Amino acid sequence: MRGLYIHIPFCVRKCAYCDFYSLPLNPPPVDAYLEAVLREADGYAGMTFQTLYLGGGTPSLLGGKGLRKLIERLRRIFDLSALVEATIEVNPESATDELRSAARDSGITRISIGVQSLADGELAAVGRVHNSAQALDAVRRAGNSGIFGLSADLIIGLPGQDWLSLRNSLETLTGLGVNHLSLYCLSLEEGTPLAANPPVDLPPDDRQAELFEQARLFLEQRGFRHYEISNFAVKGHECLHNLNYWRGGEYLGLGPASASHIGGRRFKNAANLYAYLVNPAGQVIEVEELNPVAKACEEAMLRLRLLAEGLDMKELSLHFGATNTAELAGRLGEMAQSGLLVCDGATYRLPPSRVLVSNPIFGRVLSK
Amino acid sequence: MLNIRNFCIIAHIDHGKSTLADRILELTKVIHTTDNAQFLDNMELERERGITIKAKAIRIPYRSKNGEQYLLNLIDTPGHVDFNYEVSRSLKACEGAVLLVDATQGVEAQTIGNAYLAINAGLEIIPVINKIDLPNAQIDHCRLQLTEMLGLPGDEALLVSAKDGAGVPELLEAVIKQIPPPQGDVNGPLSCLIFDSAYDSYRGVIPHVRIFVGKVAAGDRIIVKSTGKAFEVDEVGYFGPGMIPCPVLQTGDVGYLGATIREVNDAGVGDTIISAQYPDTPAIPGFRRAQPMVYCGIYPINTNEYPRLTAALQKFQLNDSSIVYEKETSAALGYGYRLGFLGMLHMEVTIERLKREYGQELIATMPSVVYKVVNIKGEELMIDNPSRFPSPNNIDHIEEPMVKAQIIVPNEFIGPCMELSEAKRGNLVSMDYPEPKTVILTYDFPLAEIITDFYDKLKSVSRGYASMDYDFTGYRSGDLVKVDILVKGSQVDALSYITVREFAITKARALVHKLRKLIPRQQIEIPVQAAIGSKVIAREDIVALRKDVLAKCYGGDITRKRKLLEKQKEGKKRMKMVGSVEVPQEAFLALLKMEE
Repeated sequence: MRGLYIHIPFCVRKCAYCDFYSLPLNPPPVDAYLEAVLREADGYAGMTFQTLYLGGGTPSLLGGKGLRKLIERLRRIFDLSALVEATIEVNPESATDELRSAARDSGITRISIGVQSLADGELAAVGRVHNSAQALDAVRRAGNSGIFGLSADLIIGLPGQDWLSLRNSLETLTGLGVNHLSLYCLSLEEGTPLAANPPVDLPPDDRQAELFEQARLFLEQRGFRHYEISNFAVKGHECLHNLNYWRGGEYLGLGPASASHIGGRRFKNAANLYAYLVNPAGQVIEVEELNPVAKACEEAMLRLRLLAEGLDMKELSLHFGATNTAELAGRLGEMAQSGLLVCDGATYRLPPSRVLVSNPIFGRVLSK
Repeated sequence: MLNIRNFCIIAHIDHGKSTLADRILELTKVIHTTDNAQFLDNMELERERGITIKAKAIRIPYRSKNGEQYLLNLIDTPGHVDFNYEVSRSLKACEGAVLLVDATQGVEAQTIGNAYLAINAGLEIIPVINKIDLPNAQIDHCRLQLTEMLGLPGDEALLVSAKDGAGVPELLEAVIKQIPPPQGDVNGPLSCLIFDSAYDSYRGVIPHVRIFVGKVAAGDRIIVKSTGKAFEVDEVGYFGPGMIPCPVLQTGDVGYLGATIREVNDAGVGDTIISAQYPDTPAIPGFRRAQPMVYCGIYPINTNEYPRLTAALQKFQLNDSSIVYEKETSAALGYGYRLGFLGMLHMEVTIERLKREYGQELIATMPSVVYKVVNIKGEELMIDNPSRFPSPNNIDHIEEPMVKAQIIVPNEFIGPCMELSEAKRGNLVSMDYPEPKTVILTYDFPLAEIITDFYDKLKSVSRGYASMDYDFTGYRSGDLVKVDILVKGSQVDALSYITVREFAITKARALVHKLRKLIPRQQIEIPVQAAIGSKVIAREDIVALRKDVLAKCYGGDITRKRKLLEKQKEGKKRMKMVGSVEVPQEAFLALLKMEE
């Protein structure tokens, strides 16, 4: 399995909490940018991919025309004949009918909508461009577009948010046929306006944890499976592209600030749109090739994020060699004994109660 | 010998001792004045000045007004309350003392303490009032204090300004006129006093000596009286201010001798050096080994630095033989050392210097005095570490060291000083008015009460005016208990402390509360308790952590995720494990600094 990720690094405006690489550009330089992406893609011409993911930023700012052009050209550069999943992230305010038909025609199989909340006050508090009516409209239309996968992002811990409003968002979205949900706890990232000036009614961590727990129970009752730390899906609607990340799979990222994992090496493009436009093929920075021990630990950490699937140590030690995974196995055993992990045969899983406090566990997975 | 004068300058801290010494050295051209600084580069000047502070005895050639040539030996004395014994040894090497009083501060506690030491040592005392150039100098008041508080001829006190040099020539004349020359038989069997020592990595311990009888030269065999060990002298000399070899040191001289002495204990301050030819020469009376009064544990923050700490301490002890140390292990802090000090100031100065000179990051545990614990079998145990106390049901009673402290304070601050003293379990012995505006409060204190922050507090409640001096008086039985701190059931040995029973609960509650805030929330709920024996006297719970997760996928940027986790983990390395709980170093540092 190999995935292709394309980063679309512009937005109508930046949200107060966002620390992803994206610039507020109006109008966005779509044509110039796509040309640059395609030039970068040429460098990898002929590669085969099974999943495609257009993330951002705001990929829906490409518009129908831009989307058609991008995918059509990508199909010529790469071998996308075995593509099983193609996702586009869409923001409600730019989710036009034109975009949806372009998506359907281009073979997009999943639409992921940045709903974040269905309460207008919460949306405004973090500087989202859209309101709840626009979000609902976008979800409804996407549901009727004939595209198979329908995902929505929600943020937990928005200023002023309580369980009633979160429950309403969940209830409404699941009622509209959303079959995949990403729930992210709001975090104050260094350098963001939200962190510089946190609102007084920001739910504290404990409250966020409670809301997340309530949301998890709610979704499980409605047939969703908590398959990854932040992701819930109706069976068969898991995001294959993201699953591939957590399984240590290969992927190529195009665009500024995008990350790749090919042939055991991880590398990243510089986060600089203007430099990218000039020289898209020369942006690679931070190449990393871990030794087998560290690599095995990294993969273990990633696989443990998959709550249902878990980490099969037998498979991991076959892949990396028993000597390279012996110490890791020891640590996992210790953690299983103290209840930090659950062990079932050779498979380790993160128990639901540890999901929100998984960092120290992953820290120990990575090193002694 | 008739033209030798051995003297020292004694004063309360900051009354200008070093400045006066510098001025004397400039006037007699032992070091160059600042005016001539253009002939010397600044570094050299710095070095030279540094020596005046470090050298413990400087030989000063001086031509008096009547044209006669003298040799003055200015002997330094340690400057603070913990070093009475060291001061008394330095005084013993002299025939006279310059008692320096800051004209703006007047007589203070250490002025009195040091003056009495000098008087008891039979020294001729020259009272001097310093800082007369300052606008707020109160010369008449100082004269009165000298007379009434010390019984010295205050009216005859010399007036100097060590800063600008005024009165210093007159002072030198007074030194040769008033201080008697040394006496003793140059041809008798060698007897000399070690009043200090320094360590040289090539030549070993270099004792600083005062010759009372006989003479010593390179090639002589000597014996250190207390240990009986013999050495061959390879060099003798004096400080001028650097080490300057000379053919012989004889009766009345002050200098150093090199004899390849490797062990600090073979040149203890106060010990006597005699000639190997006359092994029965008696010791100069008054020698005793330094007796540590205050102990604390020292731990490297980073366990890997333990060998460096060991090396630092070994080196340190060579220059300060009064420090004792032994290995100690703490379940909470790992490998470290337990250090004994002469007193609280000695401890503060030493830890500060250890940190600075050796670049060590250190955790110092709460200081403790040496308790005398009498167990039910009637055995007396001397215990300097609360965590080594026997269990409460094996203890018959506990005795703690007491001191008699003299606090000198202007009478407008008497209220707050007494209040503070009472809160520290002080027992007022007497209250004297040596003169109408000044009070001398004499208190009996448990030493434990004044070793942490008493002196700072005393200064702050008296706007800096109060001064204090203290002396160990003996042991007294008290209603003392040991309080243990438990984190999730595991005892944190470094935090155990001894306290009076009546304060135990209040103190424990404050400590537990503070600890609760200092320990970050973790995966599990953590009870923090204080207990006397098995009886819990305070408890607070740290609730379990609810959110510590990297949720987002960052477009597959796994490296970023891994680095965030690694960074977080790096932070944890600064934690110490107490049982299954991670306690940050900062928590220990903050707690150990806690005042009450």
